[in-house]
Amino acid sequence: MAFPHRPDAPELPDFSMLKRLARDQLIYLLEQLPGKKDLFIEADLMSPLDRIANVSILKQHEVDKLYKVESKPAVSSSEQLCFLVRPRIKNMRYIANLVNADKLAGRTRKYKVIFSPQKFYACEMVLEEEGIYGDVSCDEWAFSLLPLDVDLLSMELPEFFRDYFLEGDQRWINTVAQALHLLSTLYGPFPNCYGIGRCAKMSYELWRKLEDEEDGETKGRRPEIGHIFLLDRDMDFVTALCSQVVYEGLVDDTFRIKCGSVDFGPEVTSSDKSLKVLLNAEDKVFNEIRNEHFSNVFGFLSQKARNLQAQYDRRRGMDIKQMKNFVSQELKGLKQEHRLLSLHIGACESIMKKKTKQDFQELIKTEHALLEGFNIRESTSYIEEHIDRQVSPIESLRLMCLLSITENGLIPKDYRSLKTQYLQSYGPEHLLTFSNLRRAGLLTEQAPGDTLTAVESKVSKLVTDKAAGKITDAFSSLAKRSNFRAISKKLNLIPRVDGEYDLKVPRDMAYVFSGAYVPLSCRIIEQVLERRSWQGLDEVVRLLNCSELAFTDMTKEDKASSESLRLILVVFLGGCTFSEISALRFLGREKGYRFIFLTTAVTNSARLMEAMSEVKA
Amino acid sequence: MDWDLKEELRDCLVAAAPYGGPIALLRNPWRKEKAASVRPVLEIYSASGMPLASLLWKSGPVVSLGWSAEEELLCVQEDGVVLVYGLHGDFRRHFSMGNEVLQNRVLDARIFHTEFGSGVAILTGAHRFTLSANVGDLKLRRMPEVPGLQSAPSCWTTLCQDRVAHILLAVGPDLYLLDHAACSSVTPPGLAPGVSSFLQMAVSFTYRHLALFTDTGYIWMGTASLKEKLCEFNCNIRAPPKQMVWCSRPRSKERAVVVAWERRLMVVGDAPESIQFVLDEDSYLVPELDGVRIFSRSTHEFLHEVPVASEEIFKIASMAPGALLLEAQKEYEKESQKADEYLREIQELGQLTQAVQQCIEAAGHEHRPDMQKSLLRAASFGKCFLDRFPPDSFVRMCQDLRVLNAVRDYHIGIPLTYSQYKQLTIQVLLDRLVLRRLYPLAIQICEYLRLPEVQGVSRILAHWACYKVQQKDVSDEDVARAINQKLGDTPGVSYSDIAARAYGCGRTELAIKLLEYEPRSGEQVPLLLKMKRSKLALSKAIESGDTDLVFTVLLHLKNELNRGDFFMTLRNQPMALSLYRQRIEGRVAALQTAADAFYKAKNEFAAKATEDQMRLLRLQRRLEDELGGRFLDLSLHDTVTTLILGGHNKRAEQLARDFRIPDKRLWWLKLTALADLEDWEELEKFSKSKKSPIGYLPFVEICMKQHNKYEAKKYTSRVGPEQKVKALLLVGDVAQAADVAIEHRNEAELSLVLSHCTGATDGATADKIQRARAQAQKK
Repeated sequence: MAFPHRPDAPELPDFSMLKRLARDQLIYLLEQLPGKKDLFIEADLMSPLDRIANVSILKQHEVDKLYKVESKPAVSSSEQLCFLVRPRIKNMRYIANLVNADKLAGRTRKYKVIFSPQKFYACEMVLEEEGIYGDVSCDEWAFSLLPLDVDLLSMELPEFFRDYFLEGDQRWINTVAQALHLLSTLYGPFPNCYGIGRCAKMSYELWRKLEDEEDGETKGRRPEIGHIFLLDRDMDFVTALCSQVVYEGLVDDTFRIKCGSVDFGPEVTSSDKSLKVLLNAEDKVFNEIRNEHFSNVFGFLSQKARNLQAQYDRRRGMDIKQMKNFVSQELKGLKQEHRLLSLHIGACESIMKKKTKQDFQELIKTEHALLEGFNIRESTSYIEEHIDRQVSPIESLRLMCLLSITENGLIPKDYRSLKTQYLQSYGPEHLLTFSNLRRAGLLTEQAPGDTLTAVESKVSKLVTDKAAGKITDAFSSLAKRSNFRAISKKLNLIPRVDGEYDLKVPRDMAYVFSGAYVPLSCRIIEQVLERRSWQGLDEVVRLLNCSELAFTDMTKEDKASSESLRLILVVFLGGCTFSEISALRFLGREKGYRFIFLTTAVTNSARLMEAMSEVKA
Repeated sequence: MDWDLKEELRDCLVAAAPYGGPIALLRNPWRKEKAASVRPVLEIYSASGMPLASLLWKSGPVVSLGWSAEEELLCVQEDGVVLVYGLHGDFRRHFSMGNEVLQNRVLDARIFHTEFGSGVAILTGAHRFTLSANVGDLKLRRMPEVPGLQSAPSCWTTLCQDRVAHILLAVGPDLYLLDHAACSSVTPPGLAPGVSSFLQMAVSFTYRHLALFTDTGYIWMGTASLKEKLCEFNCNIRAPPKQMVWCSRPRSKERAVVVAWERRLMVVGDAPESIQFVLDEDSYLVPELDGVRIFSRSTHEFLHEVPVASEEIFKIASMAPGALLLEAQKEYEKESQKADEYLREIQELGQLTQAVQQCIEAAGHEHRPDMQKSLLRAASFGKCFLDRFPPDSFVRMCQDLRVLNAVRDYHIGIPLTYSQYKQLTIQVLLDRLVLRRLYPLAIQICEYLRLPEVQGVSRILAHWACYKVQQKDVSDEDVARAINQKLGDTPGVSYSDIAARAYGCGRTELAIKLLEYEPRSGEQVPLLLKMKRSKLALSKAIESGDTDLVFTVLLHLKNELNRGDFFMTLRNQPMALSLYRQRIEGRVAALQTAADAFYKAKNEFAAKATEDQMRLLRLQRRLEDELGGRFLDLSLHDTVTTLILGGHNKRAEQLARDFRIPDKRLWWLKLTALADLEDWEELEKFSKSKKSPIGYLPFVEICMKQHNKYEAKKYTSRVGPEQKVKALLLVGDVAQAADVAIEHRNEAELSLVLSHCTGATDGATADKIQRARAQAQKK
């Protein structure tokens, strides 16, 4: 069932321009340091850089050797050194060490630091402190948007999530606003804007300010993209925390897709080498299965294999001329497809192996129970067992967070015991992890003032331990204290199941979670787009604690063509998951929209948890 | 001229700026008979003689005056100090031309203009030259010595070739060219013999041509490179001329030099005859791009070569197309049929386009509005008979002329010609208007020419505002309000620039008021910091939501305040505090202090956890000492596991008790560890030690994971009934699993077993289940 867009689906804008722009700017910056030079690149920037300008382009502009910015010092003999880094203090120290070592050795070289996407005062300050401010020249490479796919733009800023949602550091908001500004200058103004969340609102306002400052440029242009929707990640943690079961999401969860490509290890390639594979719409096989529920993928792949075989077989009955045609035209495509097919089959096998080992079914069942809010006690003990058995620190955290959010915080007793267990399993430094999670609102304790809890504790004093557990169960199923539960009801996130949910022919967006749950973020977007405003969603907005933070901005001019009005740019601040992307792609197919995704980084549950974890230094 | 001069011009030091610029006069300079009581007066007039400034000269003796390209007055003093004044007599700055100049005094000085700006060249008392090519970016260059130079050169000038300034000087019959490396002797080609001294030399406005006046009354004209001679002329006047300047038009083939004596003005060129004028008054010549301005006490005139277009049209009995067109138009106004005849004549020659162009061009060179009008009318008349004549040249000329007429006005006094205006560009002209504080006119011009706001109106408004803040007699409130009223939200106006200017004038309060209007925090904050309003800066930075800006302020504050004040400031700004904590101080985590802190914060859970960790660490240290191996930094769970793996069961149990490890965890832990050791005997013993809190299915699972079916089977019998089927399936006993499932009459279990039935081997079992199912349904 491939990727059948409705025939009237609008064309996507061409985002390759962003790549060209970034490349030209980088080349310009490199040319500012004429002559041969060595380039030091920050590890995080390597993959994105590779997508923009490969080694041969760099060589053309007289880059001699490439080094990675890492802890150990590099030995470079070039007279000119160029650093391409994120604006981080750590990098500044690295550069300072290098320059100061040169100074001690009495060597003078030219140094140039290129900050991407922008330079921060704190960095310059460090350079000044280290006494090398005058020795280096600083530049900015305003590369903030990397088109990972035809409909997916990533800012490649995974630290955004931690910096903003945990540390409350707002420095990236400016970067986001700049990126939006760039998009609106290139692809016309956005006539309809919606958004929810504090960060969304701030970014939006900053962006508007930027537009106002140099207005006149976009005025009078026809908008190419009709809607823009900004969404904070903290509006919907639940979706991001669920195990992904759509193929692309599953590949991300299992192998980690990095900057649009994945390293398939020997167990997938069935050779002794790892292989780096680019996963995007150009991979024909992948494009057809990326949005499928995993249970369909195998069937699909084997069907595909049969088709391929049939096509190969056609050549039996051919005469010379046809054969010539076949070899010159089709064979290459078939071979390519063959290669990809075997790769994805390998990946599937590997996923299957891993998932069955860890009782994946049980896990999914627990997750669904949490989402629907029944058998809380059972789920809690499942999580406890999970921790006790040291299955995986990240997974355990994820389940606890899921429990906390769906239940609007853990009962103090559970909170304490789970925390103790966790610390015993993984060490006390995770006290900080828990504190982080609490600050981010991912894992919280129910306030003891909560009336129901109070009643509960009184009752439990009167009866025996065993009975107390049952009473707690009874109370929590009765209680309506969870906002998630209320939102879920309001927005109908848990579809009523009558009979088996047919994952082959999905009915709604819930298919990305095996029909158990419609992603909240996607549902909000769907609802708002349907109404063209937040009207009628007041209750939901209130439950999301965002009464002040949901906004709509529509321009009255109806210059936008009907085509562009069906193009929607969704901006995820803090990252989005492949499941959400798949769900919205599905929604687009159903309604004749096309979604374009702009995210600070593609994320998944493991990345969110890692961002919150305090690891040993 | 509007001025009312008491002295003769010759009694004053005079400097007039090109491009219709202002005139500076220094009256009563130091004459030999020093009248000590009379101080000299420096006066500045517009080109029309309107007084702009007048001030009493209080510094040392001035040798030379000159205007820079930015219309700043440079006054070169005898001691080599150059004082710079603005157009309105406001002192800007001063700089010195170096020690050598100071010692030897200044003999003579010239201000000259190059493409870099304005330069100063100085001849010292030691007959050495020092020059600076750009006074804005002062770099002094001392020129090499001229060999055998004992007395001051008879005349000298600066040349500018290939972007380098040279000095050409004449000593007796010899000419020397100085560049910054060497001194070379040069001879102009084709110079008439018998020259014993050069009295005067002149370089053209563009530095392309050079004229030399010798003591024989002979004038040599050639290129400035001294490679080519253009023409020569003998005027037979041996008296040294007062001034000699070039008078030619760019791109014109005619070249002429104007030579002035006390009462005589002579124009000589490539012709046997010269043109002579009589000067009624003492006059002064100002070389311009396309001619010479001549002013005296009562008049101000412009002498230039008649442009080709004007000549063609106004030549007597001219039959040029432009002349005919003008005639035709005149006849047309008289309603005479001759108009048609003239027009026809032009059209027959096919020269109508040319005629229109000629009229437009000639109009540009006219100074009198009525002539401009009649020429333009003629052009417009001719245009009607042309199909596709692009209108923009006509329209632009009309606009330009209106602008020119406006600035040439007596009150404004910038007598620009059309060619000068084009060379100067409208931007520079606007700048000059702003410099003269003629803001309304500048704005009107911008609006009239529809210049983009950022370049035009708002730039001028910003200048106006900067001027406004300098008016010290108006209160801060009023100034701020007046500025905001006029500027509003005009795009391109930077309030912070204006505020910076206000601060520069010492009006801090006004600057803060103005900054309130600045919409960009990034612009507000640095200035606030500069004004030492750090707290205001901090709150502004926080309001902006730009972390980077907050850091800027924080680091600034940290240097400025003492520690206590710094933290007090931070306490009122929680966001700044959190930022500070996170980035600057770094995290210091000593466990004990952490625990104390946790207690203080009443976070007993964390305090307890920290204490436990301290206990664990001590214990781990002891274990490492006693047992060897690595224990430090392991979690509690891992510590116990390591102990079991090392065979220290007793200690493991002790530890579990000490730290109150729950039973469930202990069982899981032990189970996994023993299975890893493959110590099946111990495992069995352990399983029987008491009733398992986690059931027995995990035992089966873990044995199977180690592929030990034999051991696994031992535990299947002990698995509780609800998990029995699963356990049996795990060890691969499908038949028994089926039996149990049937016994339980559990549909889910039945199908689970059925799904495990594979191929022929389990055929019988599958049948059995199907039968059982059918039976169950019957019931």
